[in-house]
Amino acid sequence: MKILTQNPLALSGFIIIVAVLFIAIFAPWLSPYDPNYIDIHSILLPPSVSHFMGTDGLGRDVFSRMLYGSRISLLVGIVAVGIATVIGTFLGAIAGFYRGYIDSIIMRFVDTMLSIPTFFLILAVIAFLTPSIWNIMIVIGLTSWMGVTRLVRAEFLSLRNREYILAAEAMGASDFRLISKHLLPNSLTPIIVTSVLGIASAVLTESGLSFLGLGVQAPQSSWGNILTDGKEYIQFAWWLSLFPGLAILITVLGYNLLGEGLRDLLDPKNKNQKK
Amino acid sequence: MLIGISLISFFIMHLAPGDITASESAFNPKASEESRQKLRALYNLDKPLITQYGLWLKRIVKLDFGNSFASHQRPVLWETKDDKGNVTKGMIQDALPITLMINLIGLIIIFVLSIFLGVVSAVNQNRWPDRLITVIVFIGFAIPGFWLALLLMYWTGVTHSWLPISGLHSAGYEKMGQIAQYLDLFKHLILPVFVSSLGGLASISLYVRNGMLDVLQQEFITTARAKGLTENKVVYGHALRNTLLPLITIVGLSIPGLIGGSVIGESIFAISGMGKLFFDAVLMRDFPVVMGILTIGSVLTLFGNLIADIGYAWADPRIRRGITN
Repeated sequence: MKILTQNPLALSGFIIIVAVLFIAIFAPWLSPYDPNYIDIHSILLPPSVSHFMGTDGLGRDVFSRMLYGSRISLLVGIVAVGIATVIGTFLGAIAGFYRGYIDSIIMRFVDTMLSIPTFFLILAVIAFLTPSIWNIMIVIGLTSWMGVTRLVRAEFLSLRNREYILAAEAMGASDFRLISKHLLPNSLTPIIVTSVLGIASAVLTESGLSFLGLGVQAPQSSWGNILTDGKEYIQFAWWLSLFPGLAILITVLGYNLLGEGLRDLLDPKNKNQKK
Repeated sequence: MLIGISLISFFIMHLAPGDITASESAFNPKASEESRQKLRALYNLDKPLITQYGLWLKRIVKLDFGNSFASHQRPVLWETKDDKGNVTKGMIQDALPITLMINLIGLIIIFVLSIFLGVVSAVNQNRWPDRLITVIVFIGFAIPGFWLALLLMYWTGVTHSWLPISGLHSAGYEKMGQIAQYLDLFKHLILPVFVSSLGGLASISLYVRNGMLDVLQQEFITTARAKGLTENKVVYGHALRNTLLPLITIVGLSIPGLIGGSVIGESIFAISGMGKLFFDAVLMRDFPVVMGILTIGSVLTLFGNLIADIGYAWADPRIRRGITN
């Protein structure tokens, strides 16, 4: 908390994220209408007092749908990145700790995954599974752990021969203890930064997939699939396209600001620069 | 490495439930279980996975990616001649140049603009040009490309009709003169290229800025300044050259992202490049096309990385002479 206030970037990012979190949690109480209620008497109404963001082609209230949509992007971001971080940290830790041929096998695998265009891979898998929010989260998670692996491995390699690690080893600490009690806590900072930035790109990926119709399925609303509707009606209803895009923009911006801000704050190299 | 890629793309395809026979016969209620079996046998789908992979790999080595499962049965990679001498063009053969063109133009723009923005930003650290550029960069990072594409399309194409909004050529393209043809293509390319290069522009200019800030701190810069060199020479002659080195690698690494990003861009602008081809193939469960594009895309990436490595060696005398540190 105290760290955050020192950096305006990180602070504004943090505020945005807390706001989105708040909206996502309290969506049922904040939204004036049922997000899936179809009202054929009020189709494509422009924004007004009764419908802040207008209505869509089925007469549903866009504002309420947006509020519920925030839950999707939040959930996808956090779960996908959670999966990626767990896999990435695990593989990176093993590679960096044991080195040798285990390391080369894991890193070759990482290189291979990295050279397949990620969005193609995600698209291929998603299209063959039934598109659903859970599948999206899992697939995004399974295709974005490589960065974390590289990072954790590099971190472990540089920490592995420090004196305190050698001392712990000499005292008979098990491999598991060395990794979990000594090495991991000391590599936590870059992992956190990468994860926060990862959430940003996961949110973008989800909205892209939903936009293509391969993501969250109707009637459930996500910012991406509201935009798909917006594309259909772009000539008559600008509000359907404008608001979800803005929401994605602001949320992603929030995670990026927080991530970059944290990186600046926690990186000792940058501290020296400022002096 | 290549084998790994082919393995991954092959098995993902085949782990998926449902196959082409399901979608082909879904439209035909008369299709019996027997005729489905025949179809499967025709496409070798009845053999065990390992055998299928082996067969596929054997053909890949000969650069034969097979024919599309879709009804027109076009070859996936390259043109073939049938007995009567009719040439059928390959699907990737048609699509690849389009995507490559958009992305190469995009890369050049990214390179030039982001170096400029990054340098301006670094030289004016914490003054208004830096602040302004940083804000733009952060927004560029966060903006969903397809949303921007949609808005731009609406604004420039529909409301003002300044720019064409879809495809690569206007109607009557064949009848235009040479220059008019180029101009027409150029107009069609503005929006897709802009949208596809925005994300890369943001990340690379941020990278140039941070790299420049690092380098400008170093002692040889102080030395250069002390020698009385002009600020321009110090910045562009000494600092920038040292910042550009790692940039080569970054650009190499960004290639898969660019190719992957083409899916959304090409679907919105209705451009029949690799991305759209892939998207359509995925929806139709057209295994040969999907696997062909995954493989070709990955090969392109490896090729890009190779070029990046060579470029690195070419640009850095320390590597060229095999000196480490």
